[in-house]
Amino acid sequence: MASLKLFLKSSVGRKFLVAVTGLGLSGFVLTHMAGNLLMFVRPEAYNTYGHKLTSTPLIYLAEAGLLAMFLIHMGLALKLALENRTARAMGPSQNPSTCEKSARFGSQYMALTGVLVLVFVILHLISFKYGTYYAVTYNGVEMRDLHRLVIEKFKLPLYTGWYLVSMLVLFVHLAHGFSASFQSLGLFSVRNCLIKKLGWAFAFLVAGGFFIQPIYGYFYGGN
Amino acid sequence: MLDSKIPSGSIEKKWTERKFENKLVNPANRRKHTIIVVGTGLAGASAAASLAEQGYKVKVFTYHESPRRAHSIAAQGGINAAKNYQNDGDSVQRLFYDTIKGGDYRAREANVYRLAEVSVNIIDQCVAQGVPFAREYGGTLTNRSFGGTQVSRTFYAKGQTGQQLLLGAYSGLMRQVAEKTVELFSRHEMLDLIIRDGKARGIVTRNLVNGDITSHTGDAVLLATGGYGNVFFLSTNAKASNTTAAWRAYKRGAYMANPCFTQIHPTCIPVSGEHQSKLTLMSESLRNDGRVWVPQKTGDNRNALEIPEEERDYFLERMYPAFGNLVPRDVASRAAKRMCDEGRGVGSSKLAVYLDFAESINRMGEAKVREKYGNLFQMYEKITDENPYKVPMRIFPAVHYVMGGLWVDYDLMSNIPGLFVLGEANFSDHGANRLGASALMQGLADGYFIAPYSVGNYIGLQKLAAIKSDDDSVKATTQAVKDRLEGFKKIKGNQSAETLHRKLGKIMWDHCGMARNEKGLKEAISQIKTLKEEFWNTLWVPQNDHCLSSEIEKAGRVADFIELGELMCLDALERKESCGGHFREEMQTPEGETLRDDANFSHVAAWEFMGDKPKLHKEALTFEFAHIAQRNYK
Amino acid sequence: MKLKLKIWRQEGPSSPGKFVDYDMDHVSPDMSFLEMLDVLNVGLVKKGETPVEFDHDCREGICGSCALMINGNAHGPETGTATCQLHMRRFKDGDSVIIEPWRAKAFPVIKDLATDRTAFDRIMAAGGFISTNTGNAPEANSILIGHDTAESAMDSAACIGCGACVAACKNSSAMLFVSAKVSHLAQLPQGHPERAKRVRGMVTQMDNEGFGNCSNTGACEAACPKEIKLENITRLNREMVRAVFKD
Repeated sequence: MASLKLFLKSSVGRKFLVAVTGLGLSGFVLTHMAGNLLMFVRPEAYNTYGHKLTSTPLIYLAEAGLLAMFLIHMGLALKLALENRTARAMGPSQNPSTCEKSARFGSQYMALTGVLVLVFVILHLISFKYGTYYAVTYNGVEMRDLHRLVIEKFKLPLYTGWYLVSMLVLFVHLAHGFSASFQSLGLFSVRNCLIKKLGWAFAFLVAGGFFIQPIYGYFYGGN
Repeated sequence: MLDSKIPSGSIEKKWTERKFENKLVNPANRRKHTIIVVGTGLAGASAAASLAEQGYKVKVFTYHESPRRAHSIAAQGGINAAKNYQNDGDSVQRLFYDTIKGGDYRAREANVYRLAEVSVNIIDQCVAQGVPFAREYGGTLTNRSFGGTQVSRTFYAKGQTGQQLLLGAYSGLMRQVAEKTVELFSRHEMLDLIIRDGKARGIVTRNLVNGDITSHTGDAVLLATGGYGNVFFLSTNAKASNTTAAWRAYKRGAYMANPCFTQIHPTCIPVSGEHQSKLTLMSESLRNDGRVWVPQKTGDNRNALEIPEEERDYFLERMYPAFGNLVPRDVASRAAKRMCDEGRGVGSSKLAVYLDFAESINRMGEAKVREKYGNLFQMYEKITDENPYKVPMRIFPAVHYVMGGLWVDYDLMSNIPGLFVLGEANFSDHGANRLGASALMQGLADGYFIAPYSVGNYIGLQKLAAIKSDDDSVKATTQAVKDRLEGFKKIKGNQSAETLHRKLGKIMWDHCGMARNEKGLKEAISQIKTLKEEFWNTLWVPQNDHCLSSEIEKAGRVADFIELGELMCLDALERKESCGGHFREEMQTPEGETLRDDANFSHVAAWEFMGDKPKLHKEALTFEFAHIAQRNYK
Repeated sequence: MKLKLKIWRQEGPSSPGKFVDYDMDHVSPDMSFLEMLDVLNVGLVKKGETPVEFDHDCREGICGSCALMINGNAHGPETGTATCQLHMRRFKDGDSVIIEPWRAKAFPVIKDLATDRTAFDRIMAAGGFISTNTGNAPEANSILIGHDTAESAMDSAACIGCGACVAACKNSSAMLFVSAKVSHLAQLPQGHPERAKRVRGMVTQMDNEGFGNCSNTGACEAACPKEIKLENITRLNREMVRAVFKD
């Protein structure tokens, strides 16, 4: 027990937690993205999926878990980032971006991209989870018509633009974060070719999947 | 005549006997004794850790910021040990004999035998510490061969053997620091030795960060402060390597033995210009596959590739057909110098010879050569900007190691009781020439396996009165150090110590380098005397010495180097014979090889400081067990 | 060739520092970077000015003393090179060169370009060793270690402790240094008895020294003069997890 406590207090242990929660959240965005794609099956399928998901009591447990992961991930990462700032006594001219011996793409901006993702998530929840309630009835069951809301939102160019930018930010965050998690867990190095490719593929898949919906909504939403 | 206190009896039994005769100190009493260790290279770090493990209170001093930066770290090739793992007929006896012969019969037999004897324990010790020596696929240790021997007894860790051995000793030392048995003083330079009632009782140091001068007292002082090759300014030594600790001890009465015995390593990267600050060694192993040559004609200015085969002189192969390019270091160096003296040197300075791999590349293919020597070729290219796969390397001899040092007896104690000297700082084991991969062996033998026994014996024999920080001897020595520093500040000239050091180096290299003669040495002595005056009249150091100041550090070191240089020339002048690295042009065979004079010079020359006229003491060298002969590598 | 140097000058640990400009007129391309600074210092002494302090010793890339930030690069622009092995031919006539010390809270500046890196020694004292006393050792060949394991341990052990990893890292993290030592000893059977204790001790000390946290950026690996691999950090993380289950 003492050794677990020491581990969780250490820099390595805290990074371990950031990695575990990061991978958990990665799983969440992946399933979320997959769920979104149901939109292209039929509006009905999309709405029914949403309804089923929210009507089981397990949703509260899942949401609580998600929130916990989110808070741990964010809280620890920010705390580590603040410590890093203190550890670094930057000279006036020392600018890592001029460094010819470069670091990994995305790794320099994790705190910034992370905070942007947080802002996005909050606005996203306001727009959709707590947004306008349109009702629709399929086979006598009344449920929320999320499909309509989504189409409505993505008809707004500004909203679509913001959404797309946010997904790019998410891409950058995942491109480093996903593969780096495996290093923090002590499993694979980020220099491992497979993990490196997997990281890029995952970020591309998730961000790409999220891209389709707003683009579709914007161009074809009216029909 | 000096008494080296060698135990009687057969050579195989001497060390065992001595260990048995030694007085022991009760473990509970050991922590009441403070041992001062100066230097944290292989010898210093290993001695400090071992003594602390035994229970003594140890204080360790280094002018580096960390013990791990000591210059032992730079040794490339390997460490010898008579393990006979290769089943090629090696033995303690053979390592002993090779070392004695390699040293041209100017080393003390009993010490060398003990060195060979404990060499096997060193490898065990280092492996236990986690030194990653190279291995066979089956998991056993592997070896390589080195110059001057016919067996494979060199253990190595890539080209960084010194680094790995030092990190091993350093880790042992840091473990004792954590256990608070060792107190570590980094960035502290020893500037004087405290002697009370004729015994070494402490040192005076300068804290290099804030300039504080402090005294530290104890029951014994161990100097493991390395060699003084930097007296030549340009050498393969690290920039800070210096003689100050040893020289201060000499000024307090310790004898300096064979100071003129210097090893000049044949394969170094040549000087590229006036700005040169140090020389870089290329491992001796290159001579396994490289061929050394110069143009046959003098003043041939064509570049290497334009000179046809028949107009090249592979001079080592021509002069020494039996050993060819693999003759010992001193022989190879002198031959290269002779070529340059004849005007057949190459490169812009004309002070270099070619080391050519074209034939090996043809024979084994470039890939194989790259696998064997890739890191060395890369290092060469980084420094010279020439690709050694395409054009031959240019090499020239450079000062690498000094066999001379403070005189010690069989127990590694100097003539001042309580002052022990370990590693390159002492003179004991390598005679007039050291074999490759033997310096690491000696440093660790002294530190792990010899000093801990003999220091214990010394402590056990003494009844030392406590020495307080206000003792007269402590106060006087501390004051002397302060006065000397003030002396530097008072000069207020306009030359940096480095500039003066370069001048000394040139005198030493020209007259006391690879070849020496009476006229040149006398000339050098008079030039050094003039330089000494110049130093004390034109030196500049900053007035503020309460901060990090390399100028102040260098001033003291260069002042000592100048005095040492003079003694080296005197020693070289007195030794009217040629042996090993000491080549007196007057004493040579018709073929230009060294000519020993065993009748008159089979002795250690130990010099005692006596103001302007040092006094010579001799320790006779007798060879009861090794058969004395002329070295022959033809 | 001519160079414009901009060098960080700082009197002592607590005094404020500033950049001072120096013009160098006769720089030979064959000089090493440190020899160029030697020439500068000899010139300063001639004028009675205090020379620039910088750490250096072996000048062959193994002692780990030299430590300069050159135009924002730890040890300068060349990869796999310590400052002392960097030659002036890497620069062009008229170049401006900004020279700074390592910057990290755990490496306070002593003077000018010299920093205090004893934090590394304290990390080593916290477990970077195998506890074996002189005389304890068994016969060397009684411990069999495969060729590849020995080579891999050697690659980790090649670290020279210069601190470039800390300097290059935007977080001033010492993970590459610590992981190199932990990896070296964790790969060898001799290092196994103290494996858990070692990694815990060293990581705890590293955190206490005020180094930042690793964010897996790899800048350390890119700056390392001995090209120590990032895989060592993965191994350190694994060793830490493993240590939770072994007391």
